[in-house]
Amino acid sequence: MVDPATTQRWGYRLLFVALAAVLLFLRLLPLDTMPATLPGPDLLLCLSFAWVQRRPDIVNPFLLGALLFLSDILLGRPPGLWAALVLLAAEFLRSRHQGSAEMPFAIELAFVSGTVIALAVAYWAALGIFAVPHPGLDELLMQAIFTLMAYPVVAGLSRLAFNIRRLSPGETETGALR
Amino acid sequence: MARDRNSQVDYARPVRRILIGVLVVLMLGTFLLWRIDSPRVERFRATLVDRVVPSFDWALLPVTKLVGLVEGFQSYARLSEQNQELRRELRQMKAWKEAALQLEQENAKLLDLNKVRLDPKLTYVTGVVLADSGSPFRQSVLLNVGARDGIVDGWATTDGLGLTGRISGVGKNTSRVILLTDSNSRIPVTIQPSGQQAILAGDNTAAPLIEFLENPDQVRPGDRVVSSGDGGVFPAGLLVGQVALDPERRLRVRLAADYERLEFLRVLRSHAHEVITDTGGLIAPPPPPAAPLAEAAEPAETVAEEGTDG
Repeated sequence: MVDPATTQRWGYRLLFVALAAVLLFLRLLPLDTMPATLPGPDLLLCLSFAWVQRRPDIVNPFLLGALLFLSDILLGRPPGLWAALVLLAAEFLRSRHQGSAEMPFAIELAFVSGTVIALAVAYWAALGIFAVPHPGLDELLMQAIFTLMAYPVVAGLSRLAFNIRRLSPGETETGALR
Repeated sequence: MARDRNSQVDYARPVRRILIGVLVVLMLGTFLLWRIDSPRVERFRATLVDRVVPSFDWALLPVTKLVGLVEGFQSYARLSEQNQELRRELRQMKAWKEAALQLEQENAKLLDLNKVRLDPKLTYVTGVVLADSGSPFRQSVLLNVGARDGIVDGWATTDGLGLTGRISGVGKNTSRVILLTDSNSRIPVTIQPSGQQAILAGDNTAAPLIEFLENPDQVRPGDRVVSSGDGGVFPAGLLVGQVALDPERRLRVRLAADYERLEFLRVLRSHAHEVITDTGGLIAPPPPPAAPLAEAAEPAETVAEEGTDG
């Protein structure tokens, strides 16, 4: 007999994969082939960070890693680097979550801001060290800022549309840490 | 019960941490491998894209068309305005058409007089744009033609009017086109009335920069820019665009191809040029092979001996 909590968790995981696939699909649509003047937000990053802090049991690191690697390949980035950095960042945010079940949104946003900006700088530095042709730090930071602006929206929408919220300590007991 | 769970968690967490570490190392390893042996990994990428993206094909095209429809509907709203604009343009175009017809006749006459033969091998394959790069820092599109259709890396693509980019990465059914606006794109060009050579360098903006220009004073905004064919990558003489000055007074090219919406691209088949490697014999034809030479030398010797005897 399958535990209903497990069923629900796998349902949410499927939902996460589907959302990520839709985001990837939307970015690949050849709607505007002009170079953008401003880089848009990285919505997949928002989604993973928002979910990993609300429901760490859903965002399995291996699932996330596979999705990130696939997006690296499809979006023409150097394969593996961005995926590895984001995965480490997500694990950092997950470990933050473990300590404090009740975290005000402002503090969460501050943590995410620090992480996203550190990600941009680390990505830029790694590309520079390996002498890969790369976008400038200003462009990457601009994208990080747009990502942060989109973050509250993504978090709010996940809550409204899919009921992704922090579980109280009682509820976490039933859905074990995994 | 609670203790039981705790003991489980205590086992699970280190194992999980190690697995995540392994995953991260694998990813960074892929990155390193890509850095060391880029062509192999890029081939893998092309194969994967070839698998994944065409399976989205059923959705990609309808959604793109739908958005196009909505945009079309928006422009429907300002129909009269557009009509005026089109009339104005049509009048201009008629004047141009006259000029073009005259020039065409003249050109045909001159070509006939000169017995010029245009390259008959320059044919093309047309592909539909499936997807774009999806990244704000890369400018490329994916076409639905690939190795199956004989596409080769490095071929030029146009949108029928102007050059748009070159093929970089070929899968079985798909191929990637690096657009001229991508920051990795470098194309040799000629600026036309003055005939100066330059490099067109994309920098992630709509108008690529002109670099390595010998004499910028001879170039004026509005000059035609065509591909020069240097380096043997591109056929020469493809229209690229017009020179323009940006606010910082650097020379850029306003591209002739309509980058707002790339739907179909022509991939020009260019064939390997004949390369002339040696300088050629300047005066005499190359000496005949050694064996006949030896035979020829003997009678000459006998003649010489006879000469001394006599």
